[in-house]
Amino acid sequence: MRIFLIGAGQVGSTIAEALHEEHELTVLDTEGSRLQALTGRFDVAVFEGDGTSRKDLAAAGVGNANLVIACTSRDEVNIVAGMFARREAPVATTVIRTSSVEYVDLWREGQLDVDFVVSSELETAYAISRVIGVPAARQTDVFADGQVQVGEFAIDGDASPQVVGVPLRDAAMPPESKVAAILRRDETIFPRGSDVIEDGDRIVVIGSPGAAKAWSGLLWPAGGTVRDVVVYGAGRVGSAIARVLVDQGISVRMVEASREQARRAAETFPGVRIFHATGFDPDFLERERIGNAQAGILAMRDDAKNLYAASLMRVHGIPFTIAIAHEPVSVSAFDRAGIDVSVNPRGVTAEEIVRFAHDPRTQQVAMLEGNRFEVLDVTTRDSSRYIGTAFRDMPVHGALIGAIVRDGRALFPHGDDVLQAGDRVIVFTEATNAPWVVEAL
Amino acid sequence: MSQVAARIGPPRRLAVDLPAALNLVGMLGKYLGAAALFPIPIALTHHEPIWPFVVAGAATSGVGFALERATRGSAGRVGVREGFLVVSATWLLAAGFASIPYLLAGGDQLSSPVDAYFEGMSGFTTTGATVVTNYDDLERSVDMWRQFTQWLGGMGIIVLAIAVLPRLRVGGRQMLESELPGPEIAQLSERVRSTARKLWVLYLALTALEALALAALGWLGLDDAMTPFEAVAHALTTMPTGGFSTQPRSIEPFSATAQWIILVFMVVAGANFALLYRGLVRRRPRVFLRDEELRIYLALMLIASVALTAMVWSEGLASGEAAIRQGFFQVVSMVTTTGYATTDFALWPVLLTMTLFALMFVGGSAGSTGGSIKVVRHLLLGKLLRREVDQTLSPELVMPIRLNGAPVDERTVRAVAAFVLLYVGAWAVGSGIVAVDSAITGAGLGALDTLATTATCLGNIGPAFGPAGPMGSFAPLGDVSKVTLIGLMWLGRLEIVPVVVLLTRHYWRL
Repeated sequence: MRIFLIGAGQVGSTIAEALHEEHELTVLDTEGSRLQALTGRFDVAVFEGDGTSRKDLAAAGVGNANLVIACTSRDEVNIVAGMFARREAPVATTVIRTSSVEYVDLWREGQLDVDFVVSSELETAYAISRVIGVPAARQTDVFADGQVQVGEFAIDGDASPQVVGVPLRDAAMPPESKVAAILRRDETIFPRGSDVIEDGDRIVVIGSPGAAKAWSGLLWPAGGTVRDVVVYGAGRVGSAIARVLVDQGISVRMVEASREQARRAAETFPGVRIFHATGFDPDFLERERIGNAQAGILAMRDDAKNLYAASLMRVHGIPFTIAIAHEPVSVSAFDRAGIDVSVNPRGVTAEEIVRFAHDPRTQQVAMLEGNRFEVLDVTTRDSSRYIGTAFRDMPVHGALIGAIVRDGRALFPHGDDVLQAGDRVIVFTEATNAPWVVEAL
Repeated sequence: MSQVAARIGPPRRLAVDLPAALNLVGMLGKYLGAAALFPIPIALTHHEPIWPFVVAGAATSGVGFALERATRGSAGRVGVREGFLVVSATWLLAAGFASIPYLLAGGDQLSSPVDAYFEGMSGFTTTGATVVTNYDDLERSVDMWRQFTQWLGGMGIIVLAIAVLPRLRVGGRQMLESELPGPEIAQLSERVRSTARKLWVLYLALTALEALALAALGWLGLDDAMTPFEAVAHALTTMPTGGFSTQPRSIEPFSATAQWIILVFMVVAGANFALLYRGLVRRRPRVFLRDEELRIYLALMLIASVALTAMVWSEGLASGEAAIRQGFFQVVSMVTTTGYATTDFALWPVLLTMTLFALMFVGGSAGSTGGSIKVVRHLLLGKLLRREVDQTLSPELVMPIRLNGAPVDERTVRAVAAFVLLYVGAWAVGSGIVAVDSAITGAGLGALDTLATTATCLGNIGPAFGPAGPMGSFAPLGDVSKVTLIGLMWLGRLEIVPVVVLLTRHYWRL
């Protein structure tokens, strides 16, 4: 695929890193030094120019691209670049990055002439809300507009005997879910009814969001569900997080040091209690019982502040901390300091955008365990040899169908159900098998 | 150097452009004089003299014209600063205009200039307090003139001028807002002129509708007292929440049906006209359900009405439908600041009069023709207090005050708090003066009567208790009291602040 990338910043270079091996990449940026750094690492074509100049875009060869990605840090540049790309390369897929929820809404209403809009803030908020919704999961991802959730859980001594230590066919598993894999040391088991989940295993579950929550409850009975959250930082990221969490019925309190931003957030979110404070003052933390929250989210601009505030939260008794790491290097520092989950917004954004470079039938891909496994969302071809096959008769080496989306609705198939042409299937597979799976479907 | 000195010239210390303001007042007066034409057909049909109205109109237009001519050359632009003076002066002028026919044709009871001016101010400010003691002596044309001044004052003289005069030199919203009751939070339309037009058209239509509904009762023989004359006369004072009546016993002589019809129109008149316009004219009835102020306005009237009905019934003053009607009518009349009565509530036991007294401070909705504090101000003040309590516990809490879900500007909230304090202050000072004066003149006002007399005038309601009750008159009060009450009516109609601004030194001098 010929991919045209506008913007060689953190998001752009992450995308280039992920795609340069399989695809033909051209990168355009106004700063020559960034492009030089990029060519030093990867084999990509570069062009120094302005994304808002149609002349520059044409000269750089945007017209030949199959996929145009505008991912500079400025919304307006991305929108203009996307618009010109539409004119220069009418058949190419255009994807733009934005930091404004308003543009995402406009795009959903069909008011923005681009194929996809990816918002760093919203993607970050979704990533955090997934973690909060299923606190026992090490990692989770959603598919088919949130109808299907994939989660990876670690099994420890607390897990309910309902599902652990009994053959899967006898286990009382939450309905609308399926154990896609059991990872035992270096071994991967695509389980049958006779297999047993053991203490120390990690399992991958595909199911409805409700089922994922139920699994979380089974595997971490003491954890319960998170209903009360404190968010530090009411900027764009913090506000997007608050918006998503409030929509899920979670009670949110926010702490913001800037008076202006606190006021704006207070006007936007009627149901959220917002404090104008740094949040580092022990009197404040004590008086407002910040420590009583079940989870703390650090969404300030400064990684160092996020790290310090997270430590304070733990000192005051918040059991679960999630921090935004703006610099990729902060992720490991946060891990080491005991922050439960770190999210790098640009990384999340790049990952989201990279998905558009896959086979056009593949709508979405998620990675598990580093790059060992992939979850694919693939639409079956009419000519696939598995059309008309009952799920009980599907081959089980190295891949498993967890869910299908038929007529826009997610189904969690039983053995008797039959695969039909045009079904979207959510498949869990070893990464090495992925090309074969896409081919076979 | 001398050139620069010449350029600097003498100090220009006067901050307000007086000629410009007076020029506009003059122009408004010039057109206002035409209002005197309205009672002339009635005078002619009843074979009453028309010259008092001709003189009043000519005098007002003449003064206006002279004022306009005298300031023509030097007049600059009327800005925000001049607006306060224009509004304040225009209303003083209008009350004077209204009083001329009373002086000329009102007989003995209105022959004193203070009494005539009181009646004129009570008319234009839609208060409805009266010094008339003998209604039979009033000519029908003078009767109608009283009613008509309330109708003109209800939606505002300047609002009317903006709506109908083609070239009024008014820059922005300032003057419109000084005259429209209530804090401006949501605006109906972008342009001042179209807002003014919409408000007046709706006002006119509702008045016509009420007049027809009442007249129909007379035509159908359901109410012999409700002649077309009475129907028009009372429609003219219901919609502005005025309260003047042609009858010495207010609404009592009319049938129960007529009283219920008037009650409904009082409720409408006390609602926000911008909201009525959106709901009725643009046919979006959902705006009524969503509006916080309207919900509280209606709920409060309902609760108070039920309570008062229970009191009236249990005190044995009335029973059955009559008790319900008396309870509801008196409450709606007080809350909307109309001031009609269907019974002499001044004779009621003290618990009932206290209830009505408390309702004098409610007021209708913002953007209605009602007076007093207004429901939305109570609402915002309540939310402000609620926030103060919350912030006592959590000083860091950021809590914008919301109305209908939308955050309200902090300045507006502060202005509301300031208004309520000024309102209570003006009431206290006025009450003090009236108390002293009534002690000196021996007017015989009780404690509650004194407090109610000032509250009813400041709130543009009308009746008080004691001698100045709904079937009584303000005539027994001394001249000092009357002048004080005139001032309170004026302050109340302009919602105090535009007048108080004039009292500051820096309004006049730099």
